[in-house]
Amino acid sequence: MASKGIPSKRRKYVTFGVNGKRVEVDIDCRMTLVDFLREGLGLTGTKVGCNRAECGSCTVLVDGKPVYSCTVLAIEMAGREVQTIEGLTERGKLHPIQKAFIEHDAVQCGYCTPGMIMSIKALLDKNRQPKEDDVRKAIGGNLCRCGCYLNIIKATLAVSQTIPTGKEQ
Amino acid sequence: MNKFSTIEKRIPRNDVSEKVTGKASYMDDISLPGLLYGKILRSPHPHARILDIDTQEVENLEGVRAVITGRDVPDIKFSFIQEMADKYILCKDKSRYVGDEVAAVAAADLETAKKAISLIKVKYELLDAVFDPEKAMQEDAPKLHGSESNVVYERHEEFGDVARGFEEADYIFQDRFVTPLVAHCCMEPRGCIADYSRAGRLTIWSPTQAPHTIREEVSTVLGIPLNKIKVIKPCVGGGFGSRLVMDMKEPIAALLSKITGHPVKIVNSRQEEFETGKTRYSYIISMRTGVRGDGRIVAREVEMIVDNGAYNDKGPRTMSTALLCCSVLYDVPNIKFDGYIVYTNKQPGTAFRGFGNPQITFAMESQLDMIAEKLGMDPMEIRLTNVNKAGVTTTSGAKIDSCGLEECIRKVAKESNWNDGKRQKNLDNTNKKIGMGMAAMTHPGGGNRAYGYSANDAFIKVSEDGLVTLISSAVEVGQGIKTVMAQIVAEELGVRVEDIIVIGDDTDLAPFDLGCFGSRSTYVCGNAALSCAKDTKKEVFEVAGEMLEIDPDTLTASQGEIWVKEDPERRVSFSEVANFAIKRKGRPISGKGRFFDPLAPGAVTRQIGELLPSFSFGCQVAVVDVDLETGEVNVLRLISAHDSGTIINTMGAESQVEGALAQGLGYALMENIILENGTVANSNFLDYKIPTSLDVPQLKTIFVNTYEPSGPFGAKGLGEPGLVASAPAITNAVYDAIGIRFNELPITPEKILTALKEKRAQLEAHV
Repeated sequence: MASKGIPSKRRKYVTFGVNGKRVEVDIDCRMTLVDFLREGLGLTGTKVGCNRAECGSCTVLVDGKPVYSCTVLAIEMAGREVQTIEGLTERGKLHPIQKAFIEHDAVQCGYCTPGMIMSIKALLDKNRQPKEDDVRKAIGGNLCRCGCYLNIIKATLAVSQTIPTGKEQ
Repeated sequence: MNKFSTIEKRIPRNDVSEKVTGKASYMDDISLPGLLYGKILRSPHPHARILDIDTQEVENLEGVRAVITGRDVPDIKFSFIQEMADKYILCKDKSRYVGDEVAAVAAADLETAKKAISLIKVKYELLDAVFDPEKAMQEDAPKLHGSESNVVYERHEEFGDVARGFEEADYIFQDRFVTPLVAHCCMEPRGCIADYSRAGRLTIWSPTQAPHTIREEVSTVLGIPLNKIKVIKPCVGGGFGSRLVMDMKEPIAALLSKITGHPVKIVNSRQEEFETGKTRYSYIISMRTGVRGDGRIVAREVEMIVDNGAYNDKGPRTMSTALLCCSVLYDVPNIKFDGYIVYTNKQPGTAFRGFGNPQITFAMESQLDMIAEKLGMDPMEIRLTNVNKAGVTTTSGAKIDSCGLEECIRKVAKESNWNDGKRQKNLDNTNKKIGMGMAAMTHPGGGNRAYGYSANDAFIKVSEDGLVTLISSAVEVGQGIKTVMAQIVAEELGVRVEDIIVIGDDTDLAPFDLGCFGSRSTYVCGNAALSCAKDTKKEVFEVAGEMLEIDPDTLTASQGEIWVKEDPERRVSFSEVANFAIKRKGRPISGKGRFFDPLAPGAVTRQIGELLPSFSFGCQVAVVDVDLETGEVNVLRLISAHDSGTIINTMGAESQVEGALAQGLGYALMENIILENGTVANSNFLDYKIPTSLDVPQLKTIFVNTYEPSGPFGAKGLGEPGLVASAPAITNAVYDAIGIRFNELPITPEKILTALKEKRAQLEAHV
């Protein structure tokens, strides 16, 4: 994120949350959220697959909603809360969705996986008991060339059986 | 009673916790001190002479550290088959397709690199271009590589006596089939990092499917000694054959790194992936088949024209696989084969899952349904009439040891209610028609001898706490091979899968291996790992025998425990043995293993069937509905049965098949690189559609149990078979639904609506 003498009106100072931590930065207005996460914060779990909002590899949650971080500007995050794949693991403990993905073989090459998991998290936070069709639609914007869709659906339906009622995870 | 402790079970992969937490390191996740960013200037013309390149403005741009053009690269041409070398690292005198590499820069950041290439001024003289391979074969076609013909490779084979075979035939069928250019669409774009600055050696991080091969290729094209190059394979985001042959990014990055003294990273944009990523070969197939009245195929004559694209790659090898599979499926006694590989001004073709077999199987299995209809036979019946049997050697010299094709056909028929439920023409109250279609296949089962090398070494070291480290050349690209290797070792050595780590993603460490392709890894690397586990077990039992004060031959082991067979109470744990060895006996425990196929060297000089020690078989049934108003085909069910010998990891194997079926669905219905005057018009995921979660139906995957004597625990390969029969199963189902035959893929809604309109018009004309 080296500053290259860019005029101050092309940079902005913003404050927002990433995975529960407060971030205060002065960044180029044109920088996308995914580039900021990967290069600015070293959070390389979120991937770039197309950079055109067509594949879903860059999916993160912004205020709980799934978003293609490749076509969202980092400065738009001012005052918001961003959650990435790295934010799911707490103190080294895997999130139930992550465990289910392993158990049900919902991962092959893994490149689409962070985006998939974030889309699934957004679904389950909104709908604890999704049907198969709900899951298919929730990940309809996440491409997986390895073809893990059926196992991702299986993993999601399995996790939904185990989510306790009450406080959201 | 279960005979295995881990083989055939559903085992979670041993490399996915990094992937689900975002910690797995892919090439673009790697950062190095002083890293520079490279970008390639690509020709915008399908065919042009390069008259001049002016880089003056770029050299003065702040942040640019190096610029190179064809002048700066060695006068060494390259191709996967070096005897067919036809490409420089950067174009010297000519560019031959839209996207051909003309110049490259390295800069302090990506934005500067992109700006820099836009400032390079190239003077081109436009030349006539040719895009159709049949036109390119003509004498008056523009020539791409200065020779007299664009036909760069030909192959002619005959097995048996085709002329006599056709005389025996009661019916002869002649049909033409065309398969499209399709893109691999790996979610991870291609790229690499090259670093010349490490202790005088060139280090390359490349998401390759063949680390040792790319090392050789870089050495050849840069003219530097092999031992000066180290290749590290990070986590790979999909391969499917796209990462088997070097593209020019590795040597370009290496040259930029040499000049700047810094590591240089180059990554494709998604657009570059579609425009230059190399496609599946498009085949034009002319198939003439003679059958007896009872449905038995007695002769085949096949002409194949392969669209090479602008540069050579895996063309001859894919053609060889197509030819081989065509001669093996159904054991046709008389076959003649004429194949031509033709240059055109498009991005080159390369390997893609199935490797020529999906193309030829589309032709064979579509035509077989046409033949069945003419003879008044059920499609299943005609396949059973021709089915391969174990113990037979085909006229092309292929020895079939294990064969479950008949069982595969019967099982999918049963599962799909083939005899009861098929041919329901109409879906009530809708404008949709339902159909069912079947297609069978064969594919190499691993251990292909075509490269003259089918061998591998593996090593095990056992640490003092009992952790087993397997050093294996198996290349993991998401197919789950590292888990399979661990399972093979766990089963043989008698430890748990979770107590094994599998390493070897560095060419300094891993023994030489050809890479993961041809569904070969389980067979070749698995056999090496098995041999290594056997060797290690000898040392383990030696020490255990000392601890238990008993002859090692009386011992057995499983799941980390070792005990006396006749007296199970007398036991010791694997970790205790490891500890005892190192701490008390002062000796390490390790093992070495080897797989070596003595028939591989020189195999290409013998009959083509002798190239393969084993064959996988399979059959698929597709159930579809076709919407008569929109032309859309909805795949309702895909049922497949596979004979791949012993299935090492049932869960992983199902995933392999399901993934391949999804790609097959795309191949049949959606995918096609569309060109406008040589430029890819649909170079993004909106316009080039691949199957999404909304397209893939519930799949039923069946494995039939056969045992391949030469495979580890009886296993054969499974990486590719799922894709081979999907397209004809689906197109046969569409025919069943609407009575229209499509001999060109993909069958898009537009094609279906057009065909339905024509059919209606024809019917009306006859009224």
